[in-house]
Amino acid sequence: MSLHAPTTPQFKQNSRDALADENLQSALRSARNGFVGKRAIARAKMGEDEFDALRDRGRDLKNHVLANLGDYLEAYEREVIASGGHVHWAETAEDAQAIVLDICRKAGAKTVNKGKTMISEECGINDHLSAHGITPVETDLGEYIIQLRDETPSHIIAPAVHVTVPQVREEFLKAHTHLDPDRDLSGLDTLLKEARAVLRAKYFEAQVGITGANMLIAETGQSVIVTNEGNGDLSQSLPKVHIVMASIEKIVPTLEDAATVLRILARSATGQDMSVYTTFSQGPRRAGDPDGPEEYHVVLLDNGRSNMLGTEFQDMLRCIRCGACMNHCPVYQTVGGHAYGWVYPGPMGAVLTPSLIGVEEGGHLPNASTFCGRCEDVCPMRIPLPKMMRHWREREFERNLTPAATRWGLGIWGWFAKRPALYRLATRGGMAGLRLLGRGRGRLGKVPLAGGWTDARDMPAPQGDTFMAQWRAKR
Amino acid sequence: MSARDRILGRIRRVATGDDIVWQGGGATPAIAQTSGADRVERFIAQATAAEATVTRLNGLADLPAALADELRNRNLPAAIRHGAEPDFAALDWGGVEASQGIGRIDEPATLSKARCAMAETGTLVLTSGPDNPVTLTFLGETHFVVVDAADIEAGFEGVFANLRASGSSPRTINMVTGPSRSADIGQVLQLGAHGPIALHIFVLGA
Repeated sequence: MSLHAPTTPQFKQNSRDALADENLQSALRSARNGFVGKRAIARAKMGEDEFDALRDRGRDLKNHVLANLGDYLEAYEREVIASGGHVHWAETAEDAQAIVLDICRKAGAKTVNKGKTMISEECGINDHLSAHGITPVETDLGEYIIQLRDETPSHIIAPAVHVTVPQVREEFLKAHTHLDPDRDLSGLDTLLKEARAVLRAKYFEAQVGITGANMLIAETGQSVIVTNEGNGDLSQSLPKVHIVMASIEKIVPTLEDAATVLRILARSATGQDMSVYTTFSQGPRRAGDPDGPEEYHVVLLDNGRSNMLGTEFQDMLRCIRCGACMNHCPVYQTVGGHAYGWVYPGPMGAVLTPSLIGVEEGGHLPNASTFCGRCEDVCPMRIPLPKMMRHWREREFERNLTPAATRWGLGIWGWFAKRPALYRLATRGGMAGLRLLGRGRGRLGKVPLAGGWTDARDMPAPQGDTFMAQWRAKR
Repeated sequence: MSARDRILGRIRRVATGDDIVWQGGGATPAIAQTSGADRVERFIAQATAAEATVTRLNGLADLPAALADELRNRNLPAAIRHGAEPDFAALDWGGVEASQGIGRIDEPATLSKARCAMAETGTLVLTSGPDNPVTLTFLGETHFVVVDAADIEAGFEGVFANLRASGSSPRTINMVTGPSRSADIGQVLQLGAHGPIALHIFVLGA
């Protein structure tokens, strides 16, 4: 992972850079409202109550799976083997790298086609293959674009959401040197056609195809991928060997449970009722099949997940990677995915990253939240993301990782909070002070110690009485 | 101890099971419970909303002429690539040059028979094998798919029951909802990413 080591500890500086990056801000502005509106329409078209009932069902389904994960994994493994596939267990990212490299070497692979897989990003598979003389080719259009730019994804389902159209054009002109340098690439359609033609040829060259898995079905031993482009299917159908990279929590018991997830996945992600391609794969090609891979391997990755079981972060393992939380997050919408510094951005990343790379490295991310709660409101698996971010803040505090100024501030607040009379007196005094500073305009352009907040907007001056006083009056 | 044993050991230390006798599925929405003519209509409406085009035919005998028309109207060569599907074997394709086999790198038009379909989302369900090679679904620039109206299920539950009842276990089951697409360039949705640019469905029978 040397090339793409986490920059998570520099989250604050990353965010500052992101805010100053005009290209990024322009890309984020154009993405901002698409996802949110489309999800709301898709939910309304099904019926909000029914959609939310499916979310409950999804939550219960994954809770049940996690409570019985060992049994379901073993059942799944049995089915994969029975259908002629191979299952490899990887405890760490390094283990997964070694397993994938070994399979590729045995297949004599020079190039490897990749469908979009976040697990592969997590394990740094591309860098590892490249370091050993095997060329990984990302075939998802967004992943292809960022591979050309030597970047990591900035969104889990729209990896190149931070890239503007002129930047795509520039990369294609630089990378596709076999084409006329004066060709017309002005239209979006010409860019798409060019990428399609370049990648179409590559599909036929690779010896191995790697995909992720949206789900693993214990009943049948199938892996499921959900895509819109068809690249995952071409990547897994044309080469001799198909490798599926999946983390252990992707299990669902039955086909009908896969339906529960599929009914909420695309609607939450892109606002589609159904993604274009949902593919169930089981083992290698059958006797008599004219196409499909001759070998089928599943790499089951743990990489810290089993340690989340039984902790306050277990619910995070329900995540189906739809991206709704980041699409609706005011922080993500403002700084984009790269600021988070590692594979998983947004609220889900803020919870998952410290679990996977440690709170020392990832501790900043759970602080990047106003706790507005939109992520939990839209999460199809009803994951209590703000609550878990709070748990990370507690752990950060316990381990003395919180900056001195914050600790000092929390200490003062804590001292008052434990003395209710003084607390009320202090809030009353603070309110009066702020009101005075507002000088009757009802808002403040500057507040002492809160410059970061008031630089970009006014602070409303407090009105009426304190919360406690109002509470008492109403009771 | 193997990685497998260590992972399962860590899991089992805390995930000690619940007492639930799990019933798969549940919470089936109303959109997945259509029947009769409504079901076929919903399938067509949903497939159309997903940018597929649909023609209804009385039966297989009408397919060659309808296909020839579609190829002509789309300015495609009068040629079609399909698998060993028994339904296609007996057809006289007339002026359309039909070839049998898997998908190739440059494939203007391919034809498949869907195992079944799903009205809920306008989705075709194709199963891989010699009859309908999986590569035909992804390599054709325009993909033509035939489905019997009687095989259109209301939702996922019907599709899975249908697949289980057939007793076959194909390498891949492909659920296809419209032609391929991507919004990865400038967040503008465009059809025809890596798979077909167009998807046309022939629904046979009432």
